[in-house]
Amino acid sequence: MPQVSMIPAPCRVLEALPQNAHDVRFVVEAPPLPAAAFAPEPGQFVMASLPGIGEAPFCVSALPGEGTAPGTFELLIRRTGRLTNLLTRLRPGETMYVRGPYGRRVDWERFEGASLIVMAGGLGLAPLRAFVRRALLRRDAFRRIDVMVGARSPDELLFKDELAAWKARRDDVHVRLIVDAAREGWGGRIGVITTLLDNFEGEVDGSHAFLCGPPVMYRHCLKRLLALGLYEGHLWLTLERRMRCGIGLCGNCQVSGHYLCQEGPLFSYRELRQLREAV
Amino acid sequence: MRRQKAMDQEVYRFPRSRLGALIERLARDYRVVGPVRRGAEHAWADVGPGAELALDYPTTMLPPRQFFAPPRELLFRFRRGADGRYTCHEPEAERPVALLGVHGCDLTGLRVLRSFHESSCRDRVVTGRLDRAFILGLACWAPCTAEAFCRDMASLESEAPAALYAWDLGDVLLVKVLTARGREVLQDVTALEAATSDEQVALRHRLRVRHEAFPSHLRFPPDRLAVALEAAADDLLWEATADRCLSCGRCNLVCPTCTCFDVGDEGTLDGAAAVRFRRWTGCQVPGFSKVAGGRDFRPTRAQQLRYRVVRKGKYMPERYGMVGCTGCGRCIAHCPTHISIREIFRQVGGGGGAGAAA
Repeated sequence: MPQVSMIPAPCRVLEALPQNAHDVRFVVEAPPLPAAAFAPEPGQFVMASLPGIGEAPFCVSALPGEGTAPGTFELLIRRTGRLTNLLTRLRPGETMYVRGPYGRRVDWERFEGASLIVMAGGLGLAPLRAFVRRALLRRDAFRRIDVMVGARSPDELLFKDELAAWKARRDDVHVRLIVDAAREGWGGRIGVITTLLDNFEGEVDGSHAFLCGPPVMYRHCLKRLLALGLYEGHLWLTLERRMRCGIGLCGNCQVSGHYLCQEGPLFSYRELRQLREAV
Repeated sequence: MRRQKAMDQEVYRFPRSRLGALIERLARDYRVVGPVRRGAEHAWADVGPGAELALDYPTTMLPPRQFFAPPRELLFRFRRGADGRYTCHEPEAERPVALLGVHGCDLTGLRVLRSFHESSCRDRVVTGRLDRAFILGLACWAPCTAEAFCRDMASLESEAPAALYAWDLGDVLLVKVLTARGREVLQDVTALEAATSDEQVALRHRLRVRHEAFPSHLRFPPDRLAVALEAAADDLLWEATADRCLSCGRCNLVCPTCTCFDVGDEGTLDGAAAVRFRRWTGCQVPGFSKVAGGRDFRPTRAQQLRYRVVRKGKYMPERYGMVGCTGCGRCIAHCPTHISIREIFRQVGGGGGAGAAA
């Protein structure tokens, strides 16, 4: 019988890389669990904490051994409150406390042979980055890969170096960026992320789309993707909820009686549309 | 038939004067808790000298779940080692609890608590406490409050998970043995005398009278709630009722089947030690459904109220196999604006108006 424990493991911070004024990308040593135990999948999350301060859920934005050194993983943490203020001040060599991974493990075989469309708004790129990395690592298993990234401004774009590296792969992955507003010097597009679907040149038949971003984005993107003809069961959304336990107990992430921390936070739209108050 | 069946099992007479001996016997192995008078009310508290067991209590404000999932509970302590890293230390298991005089609604509540904790994820802390507990159930003879509707929710006659179940006939209680452990304890304090035929007649008579004493408020069985609530998802009733909700969360706190909690930390100023604890919260408390950026995925009181009621009447039976409302009436009695889950059930279930129910 699995035992319930909310005890975290100390994990050393290996790198702390500020992305902009409030987001820090952390490379973290995986919890010293039995080696196989810490094997997150794209879309899963961990609970990260500081003793005496508190704990919060963070999606895993790079998985161990997938563009990272084995035994390390990455989190992107935005400074928004007391806990994240202190977490984002951690320096290499210091310790954060981590438990997990938690959440649904999606079988990747279902995506194989399909084209992938990734749409990330703002912080939404943090979880979706793990999806893109996985897809590029197994590039031959997929057809066309489209990555669309929206941000408030060019400064707010996350993982800029990585976006540039993806862009440099040309036909391997079609990366397009868009920002809500920009000062002079931004040569790219300005507008909302759905406009990247105007005159969409990618593939629709059998494609899977992955969405994460602010709530307003979901509705509009879903409508556009459905209008393009994507199947409801192929539209994947990661939902944000403030999990307190991660193990299906505390109830904070409940939607229509479902505990998102275990059954999600990744859902297909086909699954989600049956849940009231989900999006 | 059911009344007859009760008599076929092991039912023994238990002189009221032996209650002290029972408490003493249980105190050897358990922390003994029962209803104790507190001013005009009763509360679950340790019984013993100066805190007399009041088996004639109507009900309590907080249900017995407080002994299995306490309002605030230490999860573990952090201790900082010489290398600056913290290690975590879980608290030791406390003494098991013996609960005396638990009514049918609260016995049902404990079963619901178990059904939840044995579902998606076993909370070994909560189920462990339930496993180790000793429970003496107690039959009710009349509704404890005007708000109670246990008969409608089929919890009035609940006996499990009690080890012993008692019918109070005054000087003597008739006690039914439900578990081996119950028999063991009973044997230690009484001679296991069978009820006399007079006592058996008296019990049958009281059970008949009781049936009349509990009015039927809903004219449908609780298993119809799931369908009724689904059909009423967009009912204006939610808004009409929620308009007077103060979002105080009392209904969550007094509910025998609420399980939601929040997690928090406290640390010493020098950072040498800290604790992580969980404490009750609920879906009616402002901020419960907040996420980053101040967004709330159930922002209106109507949505929040609907969530509580639909969880009890539909999601819980669908997922855990038991309706989440025991009809104890606490949330109605303690709501400052008299919002009534019974009235909501009656409305959505088409139970008819007050006249029709008469």
